[in-house]
Amino acid sequence: MDRTLANFIHALRNAEVRVSTAETLDAFSAVQLVGYRDRALLKRSLALALPKTADEKETFDACFDQFFAFREVSGSRQANGVPANAGEDAQGDGEGEGGAGGGRQDSEQQSSPASDRQGKSKRKPRTTLQGGEEAEPDLGTGEMSAPTSTLGALLMQDSKVELSLAVSAAGEAVKVRDIQIFTQKGLYTRRIMDEMGLAELNREIADLRDSAVVPERRLGQELRRRREWLREQVRDHVERQFLLHADVTGRRLREELLRKVKLSNVEHRSFRLIQEIVYRMAKRLATLHARRKKVYKKGHLHVPRTLRSNMSYDGAVFDLRWRSVKIDRPRVFAICDVSGSVANYARFMLMFLYSLEEVMPKVRSFAFSSDLAEVTELFERNRIEDAIAKTLRDYAGGSTDYGQAFADFKRLCLDEVDNRTTIIILGDARNNYGDPKAEVLKEMYERCKRLIWLNPEPRNSWQVGDAEMRRYSAYCHQAEECNSLMHLERVVGNLLKTVR
Amino acid sequence: MTAIKAMTATAEAVRSRLEAHRYICSEQIATAVYLAYHLHKPVLIEGPPGVGKTELAKTTATMFALPLIRLQCYEGLDEAKAIYEWKYGKQLLYTQVLKETLEEVLQGAKGFAESVTRLHEFGDIFFSEEFMEPRPLLKALREKDGCVLLIDEVDKADHEFESLLLEILSDYQVSIPEIGTVKAVTEPPMVFLTSNNSRELSDALKRRCLHLYIPFPDTALEQRIIQARVPDIPPELRRQLVQFIQELRGLDLKKAPAISETIDWARTLVLLHSEALHPDLVRETLNVILKFQEDIENVQGEVHILTNKAVKG
Repeated sequence: MDRTLANFIHALRNAEVRVSTAETLDAFSAVQLVGYRDRALLKRSLALALPKTADEKETFDACFDQFFAFREVSGSRQANGVPANAGEDAQGDGEGEGGAGGGRQDSEQQSSPASDRQGKSKRKPRTTLQGGEEAEPDLGTGEMSAPTSTLGALLMQDSKVELSLAVSAAGEAVKVRDIQIFTQKGLYTRRIMDEMGLAELNREIADLRDSAVVPERRLGQELRRRREWLREQVRDHVERQFLLHADVTGRRLREELLRKVKLSNVEHRSFRLIQEIVYRMAKRLATLHARRKKVYKKGHLHVPRTLRSNMSYDGAVFDLRWRSVKIDRPRVFAICDVSGSVANYARFMLMFLYSLEEVMPKVRSFAFSSDLAEVTELFERNRIEDAIAKTLRDYAGGSTDYGQAFADFKRLCLDEVDNRTTIIILGDARNNYGDPKAEVLKEMYERCKRLIWLNPEPRNSWQVGDAEMRRYSAYCHQAEECNSLMHLERVVGNLLKTVR
Repeated sequence: MTAIKAMTATAEAVRSRLEAHRYICSEQIATAVYLAYHLHKPVLIEGPPGVGKTELAKTTATMFALPLIRLQCYEGLDEAKAIYEWKYGKQLLYTQVLKETLEEVLQGAKGFAESVTRLHEFGDIFFSEEFMEPRPLLKALREKDGCVLLIDEVDKADHEFESLLLEILSDYQVSIPEIGTVKAVTEPPMVFLTSNNSRELSDALKRRCLHLYIPFPDTALEQRIIQARVPDIPPELRRQLVQFIQELRGLDLKKAPAISETIDWARTLVLLHSEALHPDLVRETLNVILKFQEDIENVQGEVHILTNKAVKG
């Protein structure tokens, strides 16, 4: 298996490009066909096989440049950056590094003790040598004393393999794989350096600077130089791990948070993202429930029409006609409290309901704070966001009066509620100590198929203060706490099951 | 087939062959054709209208010297119109004609059960290939030397239709309940699907295809396209015209002018014997490139500036 490509695909997935297994195989055959030699051709080919929307193509472009450019840079840096005689195993190292990924993990665990041992054994003869060298206090170019710290020794060994093994071992130790967002890159770089014994090295460098002996001072300078070089290596390593394992855009983390956060606490700038989440959730629910609708659509044989249209065939029945979808009364009534305290919840519920257009039976929606009015038409004529904004602008004033709102609803359209109707009420049932008019709700409850009350407040405060939830909940088929997207998704999912 | 292989030896070869057929394309497009041919994958082409999605399929067909079979999708398209349909008229006619034969067959049969058994012995003649009307997809499978199959504007068809396509896209075969599975005589060397992105296509469909996005061309490419399509145009006018169109695409328009509009405009200007753009000429011919009255009104005010910019280069 081509590990570089597999890693690239992993990085793509991290960057929110959905790549299926089939597409991965396509990419492999494409690479087999075009090879790695021509970078532009490779990019064009992969761009055909992997990303499947215009947006994904953009992400892909960025990702490709980052991923494959990175390989080149790291390769050249390793070639030029390490001083002099690093040549020994540069070849094999460069290859293996590009691959990164899982394989490294096992190999390093075996070899890091080995490298330690080597470090020690090499240090020994040098220390004895050092004794001899100390006698010559010369400024000459070559002479340097040997380092005492482990990291220093490792750095002076000029062995890239061992160094990179040590870097990844340290990376493992500090769990660099858990890196989540890009701001953590610096943190992990430092942690890896610490893990490798930076403190000891720093002490040694400081000591050497103050040393009276020239070879030691020279060693100090050399170590400083190599420390910077090491820092770059570690940063590269972290960068690579970040591309492979982290949530590159930081988006998943945010989404995860947004799903759980109370909707009233959502900041305005997150609305767009929430809208996308809502839309995606809605789409998932829609596909989940779409099939059943199709069965319904086919319906029964329409005998009169079949006979009529087959008259020309001498009465032989060839062309069957089916009863098309029954035109029904709207079957979901959404009644939303849009007064200040609940407005945000109403916003998202309406968004959810109308994003489900494809599978949801027609939704009629009403908004109230004191007086209730139908806003269905607003939603038919405008885009969802605009309609919501208009609804909130027009109806969100006034103090909440559930009694009045129910009375209005009764006047407006209680006649249209029948045993196929689901009514969803969204509100905190805080009635400002007014007349709750629970009897009207009872009337609605008796006529409809289901009455669902979604209350954004936690269950234990449903009866505190001016809340009338106890009286109202008697007339609900279902009363639910609902204050995050996760709740909302569950409720709407259940709704789709029962509505049809 | 060997000829086709030679044409698609490299992406670059594809590009120059397409160019020889006056289809000037970016390297991305050429790579798509090249990969699709070698990986036996359909290509799903997306992009704004008028950038040459359908044209690519047509040109590829001419290039391969194969017939182009085209299925235009629309709402309500179903298998009866896309794959096959029974010839009901013929079936009826034959039953009428065969009525007497039937009587002969049924003569002497005792009771209903025996008659039905005898009828069964007839076999399913009425639902055999003779009574089947092949529609574009089935036709494409039956084409002896293969063909270029174009499924145009697949986003216009219903959701269910996409699923109908899956079998033919991945295995080049269709299943007909009465007959069985029909496999392609020769695998179509190229299958194109185009979409204007009026709705999101299903993941299953996308997964089976290579995905090619054709954007509006850049200045250099568009100049070459115009040169290939309208060779009579003076070079200076060509430069100005392309420059103007490119500027125009930067504005907020209901529908930005695509390549087809640029070509139309170039032809118009050649017909009018113009040598260079000037504001009045542009204003008079604006309806060739802009298809909405609102857009035309919006641009009217900017024509002067835009033209000057284009003329100066």
